[in-house]
Amino acid sequence: MTRFTRKSIEGAGIGLRTCHYREILGSRPPVAWFEAVADNYLGDGGMPLLHLEQVREHYPMTLHGVGMSLGSTDPLDQAYLRRLGRLIGRIEPAWVSEHLAWISVGGSYLHELLPLPYTQEALEHVAGRISEAQDALGLPLLIENPSSYLVFRGEQMSEPEFLRELVRRTGCGILLDVNNAYVSAMNHGWDPSAYINDLPATAIREIHLAGYEAHENYLFDTHGHRVHPPVWDLYAHAIEVLGPVPTLIEWDTDIPPLETLRDEAGKAQQHLERRRRRAA
Amino acid sequence: MRLGEIQRLFHDAVRSADDDSGAIHEASLAIVGSASLPAREHLLIYRRAVLGTLTRALTEIYPVCRRLTGAEFFDAMSRDYARRTASRSPDLGAYGECFADFIAGFEAARVLPYLADVARLEWCWHRAFHAADRAPFDPAGLAAVEDERQSRIRLALHPSASLLASGYPVHRIWEVNQPEHEVVSSVSLDEGGVRLVVWRQQYDMRIDLLDEREWWLLDAVRSGATLGALSDSPDLPTLLPRCITRGWIAAWKSIDD
Repeated sequence: MTRFTRKSIEGAGIGLRTCHYREILGSRPPVAWFEAVADNYLGDGGMPLLHLEQVREHYPMTLHGVGMSLGSTDPLDQAYLRRLGRLIGRIEPAWVSEHLAWISVGGSYLHELLPLPYTQEALEHVAGRISEAQDALGLPLLIENPSSYLVFRGEQMSEPEFLRELVRRTGCGILLDVNNAYVSAMNHGWDPSAYINDLPATAIREIHLAGYEAHENYLFDTHGHRVHPPVWDLYAHAIEVLGPVPTLIEWDTDIPPLETLRDEAGKAQQHLERRRRRAA
Repeated sequence: MRLGEIQRLFHDAVRSADDDSGAIHEASLAIVGSASLPAREHLLIYRRAVLGTLTRALTEIYPVCRRLTGAEFFDAMSRDYARRTASRSPDLGAYGECFADFIAGFEAARVLPYLADVARLEWCWHRAFHAADRAPFDPAGLAAVEDERQSRIRLALHPSASLLASGYPVHRIWEVNQPEHEVVSSVSLDEGGVRLVVWRQQYDMRIDLLDEREWWLLDAVRSGATLGALSDSPDLPTLLPRCITRGWIAAWKSIDD
């Protein structure tokens, strides 16, 4: 028996942000689902957890983590996994996602999603870590493709190949961040549509959309803007290939009024509905 | 190169003190550069991002300090701290615990002698905000402990509570620098020092002033004193119930348990 709504995750959701609690709880706007950044709720108590539970009472929810450091060569932080496990028990999310990245080494945390060299060694290492985390948490994780700003020498496979192998070896799902795919593709000269075509389609359970920032020689992923037109185009391609996968509007810096996020979610919802009608 | 070696090299490069360090040059050799962006520039994107994330964390925890120093000064000071101080936890909210000590030794901040204590107050606040919601004290349970075992009772502060003593009226400085504080007011440093307990009662954040005896008791409780060690104090029969009623002392256990 769950205390919470059993509605499943469908359509276009919104990333939950502190500055929107009051409006969400006060007027309960129609939002398909919310995703909370798990790391903001790993404390022992207080208002953040209270508000999260209140939002959860009315909306389906997923959890998205940034602190697991799955790609790191340090041991997995067991205390972190216990805290995350406690939060999962409390919130009963539909699923939990993390990034294909590392954030720490030698016990020093950089708190940025840092890139992995796509080698056989890294693949074996990360696959082992995902399995270990999934066993500890008792559920499969969705793994998100990062935005990246560099490629290492001596890489042995592409990012989609690396993700495909992770799915095969660990049974994890994939969270496809279309903005990240676009940013990385532009930064490295990849073909973004081919990138999406190469992913393990049936493993993709969620899509993220966000905005980037254009610098002189590269794109930088700030999650601080509306979704850019070429990312909408790539998204249209992605759901053409993948079907109407649940889609989240993410906005992490310079957070606008909820209205703006709902507007972006509305656009994604139209894409999803058009896709559904074509399938029917 | 092994994965662990690449990660250490990358780490040292993005954590290096300046953007032209040996560590950055060494790590650049492991990266594919391009015509428009040399290998070193790729690393610097990450270096700026890491420094930006750490300093933003300080901005969120220490808004009053930032208001007191001005944004430009604060940002330079927090970049300096972030360059010297690694984060040791996956929880970014745990970063910045030693910022007050850093400020105390920061030459350019000497003109604001109370700044380090304001930072201490903001850290206590931040800590209390996320602390556990412990069930309130059960005084009946304590009274039921047989007399001879009472001396071996150890009390505990509310899990959100931190004690802070300052030679400056930091609670007033904090108060007039809150966003919702509308009138422009000044605080005279002649108001003198304060003893505070910063904590959370249910979901209400509190900064309570303590008198000398309340401070003595809470400080002793924080240090793990048993009731037996406190019982020599003649005012304990009134002092202890007062501190319990206020909610500052919120738990106890027998050291025999």
